[in-house]
Amino acid sequence: MHRVGSAGNASNSTRPRKEKRFTYVLNDADDTKHCAGVNCLAVLKSQSSDGDDYLFTGSRDGTLKRWALGDDSVSCSATFESHIDWVNDVVLAGDTLVSCSSDTTVKTWNCLSDGTCTRTLHQHSDYVLCLSAADKNSNIVASGGLGGEVFIWDIEAALTPVAKSVDSMEEDSSNGMIASANPGLPITSLRSIGSNSNISLHTSQTHGYSPIAAKGHKESVYALAMNESGSLLVSGGTEKVLRVWDARTGAKNMKLRGHTDNIRALLLDPTGRFCLSGSSDSMIRLWDLGQQRCVHSYAVHTDSVWALASTPTFSHVYSGGRDLSLYLTDLATRESLLLCTKEHPILQMALQDDNIWIATTDSSVHRWQAEGHNPQKVFERGGSFLAGNLSFTRARASLEGSTPVPVYKEPSLTIPGIPGIVQHKILNNRRHVLTKDTAGFVKLWEITRGIVVEDYGKVSFEEKKEELFEMVSVPAWCTMDTRLGCLSVHLESPQCFSAEMYATDFNISGASEEVKINLAQETLRGLLTHWMAKRRQRSGSRLSVNGDVPSSKDVSIRTHTHSRIEVDDGAENHNAMVHPSFEFSTDSPPSIITEGSHGGPWRKKITDLDGTEDEKDFPWWCLDCVLNGRMPLRENTKCSFYLQPCEGSNAQVLTQGKLSAPRILRINKVVNYVIEKIVLDKVPVDGSNSEHTFVSGVAAGQSQLSTLGDGSFRSGLKSWQKLKPSIEILCNNQVLSPEMSLATVRAYIWKKPEDLVLNYRVMQHN
Amino acid sequence: MVMGATGSKLEKALGDQFPEGERYFGLENFGNTCYCNSVLQALYFCVPFREQLLEYYGNNKNVGDAEENLLTCLADLFSQISSQKKKTGVIAPKRFVQRLKKENELFRSYMHQDAHEFLNFLLNELVDILEKESNAAKGSPKTSSPREMIANGPRNSQANGNGVQKEPLVTWVHKNFQGILTNETKCLRCETVTARDETFLDLSLDIEQNSSITSCLKNFSSTETLNAEDKFFCDKCCSLQEAQKRMKIKKPPHILVIHLKRFKYIEQLSRHKKLSYRVVFPLELKLSNTVEDADSEYSLFAVVVHVGSGPNHGHYVSLVKSHNHWLFFDDENVEMIDESAVQTFFGSAQEYSSNTDHGYILFYEKFGSKS
Repeated sequence: MHRVGSAGNASNSTRPRKEKRFTYVLNDADDTKHCAGVNCLAVLKSQSSDGDDYLFTGSRDGTLKRWALGDDSVSCSATFESHIDWVNDVVLAGDTLVSCSSDTTVKTWNCLSDGTCTRTLHQHSDYVLCLSAADKNSNIVASGGLGGEVFIWDIEAALTPVAKSVDSMEEDSSNGMIASANPGLPITSLRSIGSNSNISLHTSQTHGYSPIAAKGHKESVYALAMNESGSLLVSGGTEKVLRVWDARTGAKNMKLRGHTDNIRALLLDPTGRFCLSGSSDSMIRLWDLGQQRCVHSYAVHTDSVWALASTPTFSHVYSGGRDLSLYLTDLATRESLLLCTKEHPILQMALQDDNIWIATTDSSVHRWQAEGHNPQKVFERGGSFLAGNLSFTRARASLEGSTPVPVYKEPSLTIPGIPGIVQHKILNNRRHVLTKDTAGFVKLWEITRGIVVEDYGKVSFEEKKEELFEMVSVPAWCTMDTRLGCLSVHLESPQCFSAEMYATDFNISGASEEVKINLAQETLRGLLTHWMAKRRQRSGSRLSVNGDVPSSKDVSIRTHTHSRIEVDDGAENHNAMVHPSFEFSTDSPPSIITEGSHGGPWRKKITDLDGTEDEKDFPWWCLDCVLNGRMPLRENTKCSFYLQPCEGSNAQVLTQGKLSAPRILRINKVVNYVIEKIVLDKVPVDGSNSEHTFVSGVAAGQSQLSTLGDGSFRSGLKSWQKLKPSIEILCNNQVLSPEMSLATVRAYIWKKPEDLVLNYRVMQHN
Repeated sequence: MVMGATGSKLEKALGDQFPEGERYFGLENFGNTCYCNSVLQALYFCVPFREQLLEYYGNNKNVGDAEENLLTCLADLFSQISSQKKKTGVIAPKRFVQRLKKENELFRSYMHQDAHEFLNFLLNELVDILEKESNAAKGSPKTSSPREMIANGPRNSQANGNGVQKEPLVTWVHKNFQGILTNETKCLRCETVTARDETFLDLSLDIEQNSSITSCLKNFSSTETLNAEDKFFCDKCCSLQEAQKRMKIKKPPHILVIHLKRFKYIEQLSRHKKLSYRVVFPLELKLSNTVEDADSEYSLFAVVVHVGSGPNHGHYVSLVKSHNHWLFFDDENVEMIDESAVQTFFGSAQEYSSNTDHGYILFYEKFGSKS
């Protein structure tokens, strides 16, 4: 299991960093829908009376979307893609959309743009969970998260480009700030590897903007709220206390106790005098910050309260949470009303005039009637109850069967989502992955092309898994997770280069039998083909493919120090066509995720890569593979084995020593080898045929470990074809199918850690 | 002779109150085998355990060709003690100690050994032997096994959803000492609670200065947050999230063995140090941090005491309650002590104290219930 938290943890530079990881995300063809739960919402009211309102949604799928809201229609008008983990919260600061994520960053976007990230604020060292903006001071935004980190940002100042850095390299303007905040940057760029003198240049960029830190939280912060002028900030979290801060200085004002569990939602009235809090103890509390005390507690929910929204006058509160229910409560009379019940826990809400948008752990978003301007109207319909002030009162009431009937049965508008993937199984061939989504649909993906190859519908995942079992053994060249609701495939060097297949298995016409394909290399080429094409176009004559690109030069410096680099036999063709079996769809292009360098991690669709991306953001091994066709030496692509006659068989002993062959070598090749040895046994070995060097090697007694290459049987077979005896290969007394690979025999038939022993016997001719 | 004198002294002290059929025998020390002697005395006076062991001995002694193992050696020893003509005296647990050294090289040297390590090894070894015997018995008549499966079926499905075939055997050792802990983890994002059960034969508790068993048990069940680099992978969220974890006792054992972690590894010194903290252990203990709200009540019947100031040397003795009398076992010697003397083994409130006799392993028996 990988650790999400550490992926962007830039401040942790004392530990030796591993090689960077490369990830790609398989997107659904429908780009206008979220494919995981929606964590957050924000409504942008149109400035003019006839203009559209907009809704912004931030999802666990890592993207944000903008929706143009008509009266009874809604359409997706932009996708904001750059976060590499869950988007946890979103606020509008004027025209700037601010989002935060479990990738530890806060990102800014022009809210009406086509979705380009304008800035990555890389100050947090753990998940950023919540944001709060000052309504009347659109510059001020606060961010809070795990580890108790809370920062107050002046967004305008943060967006001002930093003066050009000392380094003349094309560093995009987002670098200086991070360097200033985290003096100990991880040194992972290509240039730094090549030359130590560059390191100081990066870290010396200490000028730039730093946010105000609200220091003093002992535990994680799960909720924030700010008053409209941006002078007051309230925070809550697992410490179970409400902390009030001066947002201009980060100084502590007070600490208020009352809740008995995590505080998950906070609201401040415009003046900053009253505060509402929702907690995992299932209570809503109203605090008078002037009097520094809790003035009301409302037992409305039967489980954790995760979301709060108030009417413009702060007279009523909408609340939702783990109990799937949305309540409206009159803060003064304590009357409460169940507005609707959902199928999923409620995560956040946003009012739009008389409607309320509700985000849940489902990928769809619904709009419900709410009468925000005149909440009293809903109460007139009856069915309200009086909120108690002890947490168990509601639980007891619902146990006694007095569950209120929701006022609204159906949402007035729905933004549909795609069911997210919740379960996955990598099949034995390591190219196919069986998935199951929240709707119960089971699909088969081909991850080297990024497409669904089979949709089985609603069937049993476990049964399908059994049915698709194949007795093959391929090294685990990638790892996978589904936290984004879709498949994320992670590649790490050197283990990602451990899986090979024969080209003939892909039905590549004209390919000779021996040509092997490295799954990771071809996948990387498939993913980066658009980037390479754009890069070539951009550089034109300035850069040749293998020429003086600073990075590739440094890569070669690196390779000198790294003695175990194996140049692939296809090196000279490394920019050749992408194999059709590794061609990723352009209709639903996957996105790539890189841990980035000092600009922070980012994510982009492969078709949106325009060649301007900083090469330092890609792992060096990944560039070395696609640009130079080089891969680190892989140790486990070979398999050692003994070849012995069957017990009781009168077949002659061919070799005493240990043989070595590619793991993927098929048993039929071993059959051929045995035939060749038997038939050619007395025939003098043609010394000029390099294919047979292994024979002389053994004969000379120089090496006990001879190499059984794939090319060993190319020649000389035809002449004695008619004499060809029938040979059977056995392992553990089991006759092997000619299609099996050595790795498969080892994994499923031999099943021992020792070197594989194969036996052969001659079949009688009829 | 010492042995005669001790015996008579104890007999005299008890007079006509000497319990019918009970035997109080010291155990000879074979060179630093006090860790073994002290634990054996505590186990001997764990009456349900002794009775079941003797019953086992009675059922199995006729099987002449049975291989010698720790279980047969222990049963032999217990039966030897209980069948002595004299009421007091000294016995040499020679065969048992030899067997122990054969089984585990840890105990082979003449070095000072950890009594808790020995107890844990012994109980697990007994369980292994009983399981092997049961498997061997089951192995031959295969047809009988399905019936037994059904008999234990419901327990299995409750404890572990995927436990398909390998029904863990509940031996009489388990019935005495085994309890179930449940490890509850709550994801702080979706607030889903996942519980995982694990069995235990004894509880090892971290200790603090001037504390009590009750407070140590409370700390044992206190909440721990999984965060930062140590997040919890939540199956519901499909991702790493913060989580709160705590241990609760789901099924309290019949015999509750509490091991006080008095030997603590001090990183700066890169060696173990003995903590002489005063930790009060009551004669009667209420276990309140159980999953079911019903409290379990226990009474103290044996204490293994570590004597000495360091972890690598010192001595072990045991205090045993038998028929309402407290007895003090120090290898060959057996004495009667007053119940009030038990509190002198709580530990010391000051770091350097002349009293270095500290309660180390506590044996409690649940009362009002039969195993």
